Amino acid sequence: MRRSPLLRQLLATTLPLAVLTIPGAAPADPLVARNMSAYGMPGGIDTPTAETLPEGSLGATISYSDYALRNNVFFQVLPQLTANLRYSRVDGINDFRNDGFIWDRSFDLRYQLFEQQGWRPAVSIGLQDFLGTGVYSGEYIVATRQVTPNVRASIGLGWGTLAGRPRVIDAADLGGTANTSDWFRGEARPFGSVSWDVNDRLTLTAEYSNDVYQASYSNGGFFQQGSAEPGRLNFGASYRMRRNYQLGLYTIGNESIGAQFTVTLNPREAAYPSGLEKAPAPVRPRPAPAADPEAWSPEWASDPTARPVLQKVLADALAKEGQILESMTLSATRAELRIRNNRYNQQAQAIGRTARLMTRALPATVETFVITSSADGLPTSSVTLRRSDIERLENTEVGQIAAATDLSDATPRPAGLIQTEDLFPRFRWRIGPYFDLGLFDPEEPLRYEFGAEARASYELLPGLIATGAIRQRAFGDIRQSGPGVPGERGRRFTPEEYLADPSLETTPEGVPRVRSDTRMYAGNTSPIIPELTLAWFAKPSDQVYSRVTVGLLERAYGGVSAEVLWKPVNSPLAFGAEVNRVRKRDFDARFDFRDYEVTTGHVSAYYELSQGFIAQLDVGQYLAGDRGATFTLTREFANGWRVGAYATKTDLSAEEFGEGSFDKGVTFSIPISWATGTPTRERAESRIRSLSRDGGARVEVKDRLYDKVRDSHGVRMQQGWGSFWR
Amino acid sequence: MILKPMKALTALALLGALAACGNEGPGVVTRTAQAVLADRVARAQGAPETTAPARSDAERAAEALRVNPGPLIQVGFETLGQTQIMAMVGQNGAMRTYMTPSEEAVILRGGMLVGTRGLGRDLSVAEPGTEALIRAGRAGQGTRIMRYLSGDGLERPLQFACTVAPGPQTGLMTEDCEGHGTRFQNTYALEGGQILASRQWVGPGLGHVTIATLRP
Repeated sequence: MRRSPLLRQLLATTLPLAVLTIPGAAPADPLVARNMSAYGMPGGIDTPTAETLPEGSLGATISYSDYALRNNVFFQVLPQLTANLRYSRVDGINDFRNDGFIWDRSFDLRYQLFEQQGWRPAVSIGLQDFLGTGVYSGEYIVATRQVTPNVRASIGLGWGTLAGRPRVIDAADLGGTANTSDWFRGEARPFGSVSWDVNDRLTLTAEYSNDVYQASYSNGGFFQQGSAEPGRLNFGASYRMRRNYQLGLYTIGNESIGAQFTVTLNPREAAYPSGLEKAPAPVRPRPAPAADPEAWSPEWASDPTARPVLQKVLADALAKEGQILESMTLSATRAELRIRNNRYNQQAQAIGRTARLMTRALPATVETFVITSSADGLPTSSVTLRRSDIERLENTEVGQIAAATDLSDATPRPAGLIQTEDLFPRFRWRIGPYFDLGLFDPEEPLRYEFGAEARASYELLPGLIATGAIRQRAFGDIRQSGPGVPGERGRRFTPEEYLADPSLETTPEGVPRVRSDTRMYAGNTSPIIPELTLAWFAKPSDQVYSRVTVGLLERAYGGVSAEVLWKPVNSPLAFGAEVNRVRKRDFDARFDFRDYEVTTGHVSAYYELSQGFIAQLDVGQYLAGDRGATFTLTREFANGWRVGAYATKTDLSAEEFGEGSFDKGVTFSIPISWATGTPTRERAESRIRSLSRDGGARVEVKDRLYDKVRDSHGVRMQQGWGSFWR
Repeated sequence: MILKPMKALTALALLGALAACGNEGPGVVTRTAQAVLADRVARAQGAPETTAPARSDAERAAEALRVNPGPLIQVGFETLGQTQIMAMVGQNGAMRTYMTPSEEAVILRGGMLVGTRGLGRDLSVAEPGTEALIRAGRAGQGTRIMRYLSGDGLERPLQFACTVAPGPQTGLMTEDCEGHGTRFQNTYALEGGQILASRQWVGPGLGHVTIATLRP
């Protein structure tokens, strides 16, 4: 049998487990970390080890001692690559605020060069706090080996902080760029740790660390973090609760005691991997033609009453499945259903269930089933199946039905397409609470707001949708405030000061304030309109999609946004272009505008690489009129988990941009169905980015085409085929 | 800010008052929150009195047989400590799908378990290479492949090496399987090549089920 690309892909994904079953092979031991360090990385207490986490693990460690409060988010990007984003309150350092502490961001990367194999230990190389010179900057090479089944030992060589020789921090540095010339320079010193797994839950750790917890600045400032320099020996104990939690207690030197808490999520471990949705209706096979010739008569097709009845039956059955039958074409031998999946995380599951319902409803002569996915009115892809294959392959390995399936571009307007009655216009509304969090404000790292929101959408025709929302704050401590006063770090303009002087809406460097005054939009006590738009989605040709959105696009901008996307269904490559003409909204977030208008636009290229990586490059003009490019790299798992990182560099200089030098951030998106088992398309999403700056800023238009279209295209469908018979 | 108890209660009451409503039903987060809250409230008030005395499995089976004219099986989920009566809702060749009223399903082929649905940690499909031996009542060895949807969304196979042997009584066959660091035993009661009753392993999540035919 000729293997289709789909089948090859499926076989490839099943291979890793198959390898495990080959007897006699001695696979390398991946040395999965049992303990997280106070820096939120696999390690001892302050020192790193060469251990890794299971691929894809995403988690957070909060550690607290006299020296610092560190909030860490870590992610095992690849089997060898661990990344960590840290936001720390470093105690004992004074800046212009004179608080006795500073809030500091840092970023770590660690790469495992070798796994442990035979006599050879695992070896990793790492960079700590490597964007700009920071309080924790240092580099290391470390080796870890399992000594006995319960004991692991690590030994390494550290530079910078890890050698007890912290680097001098440039007080004028804007941060954000890597000082490669400092790496692995200066005096190096050895460090080491030993950990002992007392039982399945408790691990004890002892380490030798060089960290002196000092910071010196180029302007002569010198600080001892905490109250005193610690000794060299640290001891810790960590206790695992259930699968995902870890509680730790440790000593730093003789003086200080610390505590930490870790939560880890692994995309491969779901509470209900197959979901808690109700069982699908089984296939209803047709009788043999000889046994029931009448059932096989094509006469029904000439009866004008047949099609409306069948469409009604199918629409009702699909509605129970959380799907909308938008339209349908029907002939004696072929049926095409256009479905809008509002329930299942995997489009393949929606298609599998539709196919089974079709076997239960359609006359026996209909042999070709075409199921076209509609993304809010946009026909995105067509799955063509033979009914006899569905009957023959029900509840077999998914590779078989995948191999018998054809995935093609959806024809926008096929002949004979009849819309389901009473579907449009479609009105939806919701009134409920909302909760907003403000993070990373150095004065108050966690702010919140709570209130009520009403939201409604009115879909006049498939793809033509009016959406609006209105919010009323109830309480919270997110307040309105102006941008920071240039040259006076730590002080912000009051809203009154900022409103009184229009010239403040441009920075002294001449950059219009397009995002740095974003807090002026916060803290309104009267009702606000976060969005009010009319969007039109269309498909001009088989592989081209378009969107036009008009109205109040987001909290701070309103105007027109137009986008086109070229995305063949089985191509890993896509191109897009977007143009926006927008005006800055007034701070009361109602219908008034301010005196700033700009055209932004991008051309974009998207490419789906192997191993679930998606690369995106956008080149164009940003909100402040600056020109440049954004590069985004996202890791996506078959279950829909997505973790990504992006960076934007425009023609604004680092000085014009301000602290951070350029815009960068990390995004997370986790399907709720993964966490709860409930069938839903909802997601928990979050973005951690650098400070709100004016360079590299974009209009936040909803429903950009790429993500909308991709769910039913090649890669996502291949990943999701495991759910076809679910 | 630390909420005082009274304030916390007020906040909670407000949350309740603001609980989302709309023409599409509550979102999944709200539903989950409501379920958790309802559960807490129920626990705080003590377990509710059962309105009717629990009926025995035999009584429920008898009623199901009276109400339902089609094929019926009784399935005991050992790890869940539950027994369910399932009615046939579809047949495709020798493959039969049985469902509970709450739409959880078990798929059997001539009594041999080939899949489950709607149970959270389902068996997607089993390919028992030992089936012919078991039906023929012969001892021998074969490979059994069990496929599961894993947490990351892919269907993954587990492969087991199995040994089939006659059981302690006539008409009983046992199948001992081993692989992936685990082992399990399936037991089948046969008559003329048909599996009338059995105890079969579903998977690492659900453990064993016992299946009895109430009406073939």
